[in-house]
Amino acid sequence: MKFALNVHDVNDVFMMVARALPRDPFSMRLMVLALLSLPLVAQDPSGTSQQASLSAAATAGRAVFRPTCGFCHGPDARGASGPDLLRSALVSHDVNGNLIGPVIRSGRPEKGMPAFQLTDTQIANIAAFLHGQAKIAASVAQRIPSEYLLEKLLIGNAAEGKEFFAGKGGCKTCHSVTGDLAHIAAKYKPFDLQTRLVFPAGAKPSLRVTTAAGETVSGEQVYADEFLVTLRDKNGWQHTFRRAGVKVQEDDPLAAHEKLLKTYTDKNVHDLFAYLETLK
Amino acid sequence: MKKCLWVMFSAAVLASAQGLKPEAIVHPAKDSWPTYNGDYSGKRFSTLQQIDRKNVGSLGMVWAFQTDVNTGPGIKATPLLVDGTLYFTEPDDVWAVDARSGQQRWHYHYHSNEGLHIGQRGLGMYGEHLYFETPDAHLLCLDARSGEVQWDKVLADVKLGYWATMAPLVIGRHVLAGVAGDFNDLHGFLDCFDAETGELQWRWDSLPKPGEAGSETWPKNSDAMQHGGGMTWLTGTYDPELNLLFWGTANPNPVLDGSLRPGDNLYTCTIVALNPDTGKLVWHFQPSPHDVHDWDAVQTPVLYDGLFEGKQRKLLFQASRNGYYFVLDRITGKPLLSVPYEEINWSAGVNAQGQPIGKTEKYPSAAGTLVEPDAIGSTNWMAPSFNPQTGLLYVDTHDSYSLYYAYSTGKPEGFGGRDLTVWSHCYLRAIDYQTGKSKWKHDLGSGWDWSGVLSTAGGLVFSADVHGNILALDADSGKTLWHAYGGGPAQGPPITYELDGRQYLVVGSHGVLFAFALPEKLVEETAAVH
Repeated sequence: MKFALNVHDVNDVFMMVARALPRDPFSMRLMVLALLSLPLVAQDPSGTSQQASLSAAATAGRAVFRPTCGFCHGPDARGASGPDLLRSALVSHDVNGNLIGPVIRSGRPEKGMPAFQLTDTQIANIAAFLHGQAKIAASVAQRIPSEYLLEKLLIGNAAEGKEFFAGKGGCKTCHSVTGDLAHIAAKYKPFDLQTRLVFPAGAKPSLRVTTAAGETVSGEQVYADEFLVTLRDKNGWQHTFRRAGVKVQEDDPLAAHEKLLKTYTDKNVHDLFAYLETLK
Repeated sequence: MKKCLWVMFSAAVLASAQGLKPEAIVHPAKDSWPTYNGDYSGKRFSTLQQIDRKNVGSLGMVWAFQTDVNTGPGIKATPLLVDGTLYFTEPDDVWAVDARSGQQRWHYHYHSNEGLHIGQRGLGMYGEHLYFETPDAHLLCLDARSGEVQWDKVLADVKLGYWATMAPLVIGRHVLAGVAGDFNDLHGFLDCFDAETGELQWRWDSLPKPGEAGSETWPKNSDAMQHGGGMTWLTGTYDPELNLLFWGTANPNPVLDGSLRPGDNLYTCTIVALNPDTGKLVWHFQPSPHDVHDWDAVQTPVLYDGLFEGKQRKLLFQASRNGYYFVLDRITGKPLLSVPYEEINWSAGVNAQGQPIGKTEKYPSAAGTLVEPDAIGSTNWMAPSFNPQTGLLYVDTHDSYSLYYAYSTGKPEGFGGRDLTVWSHCYLRAIDYQTGKSKWKHDLGSGWDWSGVLSTAGGLVFSADVHGNILALDADSGKTLWHAYGGGPAQGPPITYELDGRQYLVVGSHGVLFAFALPEKLVEETAAVH
């Protein structure tokens, strides 16, 4: 599902995100981790990012704003010799230019702002531009754009990344660039690839439970706390055991990645990313 | 024991005529939990010991109160208990519930509003007045008998991006109310209202004005300082002897991009001591100078009078969001100890002023920087507990890694970037208050735990794991002695009190408030032994 957003949609998405996600960062982050662990086909519906863009009205508003107001308020309205309008109480309370309009038309002579005789439509468009800018700024705080530019991430050395992969990183113990990681850079967006190489959340431990009677049951871990474990066997049935009465053997495919977290330098991460990015 | 109970009942009857007297907060009775932290010190320690290590395994449910609110963050409030009534909240709701039966006395619902509904942490009380902060940053005064609104004051402008979540603190006739909001570049402040009339008595601004002390920690010729953040979103503590109020402030803005605000950025990420009668700053200590990771310093400043390096002192502890444990002399604000209590990778040690030094290579970057911990921090709003008998500070901690990105185009606004947690694991740590070292840590599971902590003279620590299991641990060893699953994340911090000679444990689990106690027969036997 792809969204083509106008400012109205950006507003809805922002409010949805603002209302739903930050109130429960726990779920948000679990969701992000879970989504990142899904295969490629499931990536787009995650809506990891909707890059906010401007509506037609806002675009028209920008065309008026830049030559008229931009010299003092900055081309993006974030302030220059004049105030930052994204931080303005008046702009925050404005609806379709009802507060901005009088200021534009009368100016603020005491502060050196001249009056501008603009049409109602021009003022409404400037208002749309300013509100759109504020929403774009706010959306930065909500989520990282998944269409993150590759060149921003690509600061490492691929040759040193290859060396780390084969040597100190110990990656070869579990992975092969011609096997499971073949064409990995074509499977994941750059941003997601970097996240996954640091820690590929989602892989479940395999459990082997031996009961007091000597019976063994194996399967994928569904739930585990300090009291109980639940696994799903190969036929799809779930079984729950009290830890106190059984022996639990766990094979966690992410154990090596947990260890790496404690030793990774930022250079390791960026070199490794540069190397994996060559595996198109 | 019988005489004791009779005295207690008489006190309760007398008190019911006037609600909560402010002086009753100084030495809370065992049949009360009159403030967010149970008292002014922030210890969340109860001297009750009917429930102890030996019998806690017999703890059973007495009642459950269903809020029937199934959306939203659930119960994050610490209930107040006054005269046998529990008062607690969700973002748009306040309930008064009979502490013996779990029956509702009244329910107040606020109108729908555009404030951020991230959580609501509880109420303050003075006489028959309750104080409630709404998501759209109003302070309401409610009648504790009926839930009727007595007055409504605007704390801050929701349109600018402010919201509110905290439990107001009452000191005499002062009601202290802080604000939240860091998606926009706003300024933080702490307001003090008259408990009766609702008139503003004073406002303390987290950010200095040009030329004032602290302004030298911001760039000149820019509006960075006026928009520099420093919210006041968690309840502080109070020392009646010193007449000092201790409050932690939140992060600077733009949050992850400090490029336009070089300097220490006072008074963000700071513990301040204020005079509650005037709002004047007495001293300050800044745990995170020039923060760029969203690690505010709002965590409870816990107050304790005890030994430090062989000398009796008035101490203040904070397990701060940046992973450092601080001990201060709370008369002067002088730092006595600054050491990490959880694993971190961002600090190059401590400076001569006892403040952590941040490594610049661990600042958020366009390519991503791997930092331990994530922006949620080594701990967050989860209430800690200090048991003077064990000398241990019990803290819900997170060991986590996150990729921090700074990616604004043009001038940063609001956050200026964001972090993405890649791994997180939680523990309940028992921290020796004199050294900052953990005596034990109890594994709470993978993910993010948001449970508050309570400790008691019964040798117990109550909290919950990431799955929602409510836990009773041995205060000395961290060994689990009892647990119960409440059906949701147990984010409503546990409290305890005694009514009719029976000790109760009350915990919120998503939209349900649970009360646990020992079976009545066991209570009688325990009473006979004591």
